[in-house]
Amino acid sequence: MNITLSEDQRDCLQELINVAMGQASDKLARYLETFVHLDVPYIELVGSDTLPLLFAQKYNGSSVSVVSQGFYGNDGIRGESLLVYRRDNAKEVASLLGYEPEEANENEQLADISSILTTTFLNGLAELISNQMSYSAPRLISSLNTSLDSHLEQLSFNWELALKVDISYQVTDYSFNCDMILLIPGEAIQNIQSVLDRILEEY
Amino acid sequence: MNITELNSFVVQQINSGVVIIDAEYNIDLINHFVVLHGGVKKEQAKGQNLFSLFPELPEHWLKRKLQSVFTLNTPAFSSWEQRQYIFKMPHSRPITTTNDFMAQNCTILPIVEKGEVKQACIIIEDATDVCYYQQQLNVAMNKLEKSNQTDGLTQVANRRYWEERCIIEFDTAQRHDRPLSLMLFDLDKFKNINDTFGHRGGDQVLVELAAKIKDLLRSADLIGRYGGEEFGIICPNTGGKGAAELSERIRKEVQMHKIMFEGQAIFVTLSIGVIEISDQYKSYEEMLSRADMALYQSKREGRNRVTLYKA
Repeated sequence: MNITLSEDQRDCLQELINVAMGQASDKLARYLETFVHLDVPYIELVGSDTLPLLFAQKYNGSSVSVVSQGFYGNDGIRGESLLVYRRDNAKEVASLLGYEPEEANENEQLADISSILTTTFLNGLAELISNQMSYSAPRLISSLNTSLDSHLEQLSFNWELALKVDISYQVTDYSFNCDMILLIPGEAIQNIQSVLDRILEEY
Repeated sequence: MNITELNSFVVQQINSGVVIIDAEYNIDLINHFVVLHGGVKKEQAKGQNLFSLFPELPEHWLKRKLQSVFTLNTPAFSSWEQRQYIFKMPHSRPITTTNDFMAQNCTILPIVEKGEVKQACIIIEDATDVCYYQQQLNVAMNKLEKSNQTDGLTQVANRRYWEERCIIEFDTAQRHDRPLSLMLFDLDKFKNINDTFGHRGGDQVLVELAAKIKDLLRSADLIGRYGGEEFGIICPNTGGKGAAELSERIRKEVQMHKIMFEGQAIFVTLSIGVIEISDQYKSYEEMLSRADMALYQSKREGRNRVTLYKA
């Protein structure tokens, strides 16, 4: 499968994501009662064989927790959202969520905040492309005791190429940050391309 | 049945719980599953507050979760893996599983009317079977991991696991600038024991000694079988002097320990080499090879003794 993203498609996707990020930041601020800053997204196509390496370079073997959540919408738009937390950050989540201490264990807090970040952003994005998303439950795929790249190396992917979107979240009041990595694999890339082309035509 | 009746039939009869509440947490609908498992009456439920009908709910946490559904117009989830259940209910396999309550996966969906979230739908799935099998799997995995780390004969750590721990303890000691000592010891003239008492006799000596020495160690120390009659001990947070003292105690205890085999008493002695960490060593292997040199010095000097490696 030979897929490339045209410059127009990339710009269009970038713009859609920017708008969705703005909306998400606004909504999150209301729920979390603090300002959430989302960094400019980074969009690229990645091969399944290079993904473990990319993670290894980015997190450099440091211990991270990763929560995965699947999403699927109309027109064959589907993928997986990975939320990556570094060790120091995992502590801030309970107070950010407004939980009492001891009310939820660390894994549950991570699953909860992940689901909120992922679904808030993707619901907004879906609306912009006249779509509607459903989600699987968030699942902790690696905890602080296991390294992510070694976890990924054990997986065999059933796709060769994925559209990868990196967005980092920063909550200054809680000195909390995490990365959201959206992976839209295989055929779903072509499906999102036709959605982008449709929008470009209308524009 | 028309389509509305069919929908209602499915919602009522489906083997998952359905609870619909409004923004004030008052119940608009509960289905048959919740009535049966939750032990509530359908007539009572309608219009009643969710938290007074189910007083055992984790109220503060669940309200926060429901707020996210109402404020953000997003679904929320709860998995049995993090929280075994939200609604405390008995489950349908009380005989064949060990859990007291139904393990649940819950999904909370926003119900939007005219652009606003007016209600929330809580769906409760029974995950008791999955939960039970996962627990069984965890038990099996733990056993497997343990047996993967253990020497079959002596039941102390096997060489692979012992060396894995060496790497970890070496890195930790170096990073935090803490002391660390390693010991290697060898049963003196073990070949004679095998020749005299046979391999079964030799095996019994190894088994008893390993257990005896394990009893003398502190909880942080780790003994492993390094080779046939050669063992190693990792002593974290211990300097060379402390490790040499411990070795001396082990040597004395072993020398006095009588092992009975088929009515005959067997006495054995140990030759021990000890080394403490120093900045000059780049890996645990460098320490081990020097501990081995100290061990051979103990042998050369007449066996049944402890040698602390001196750089």
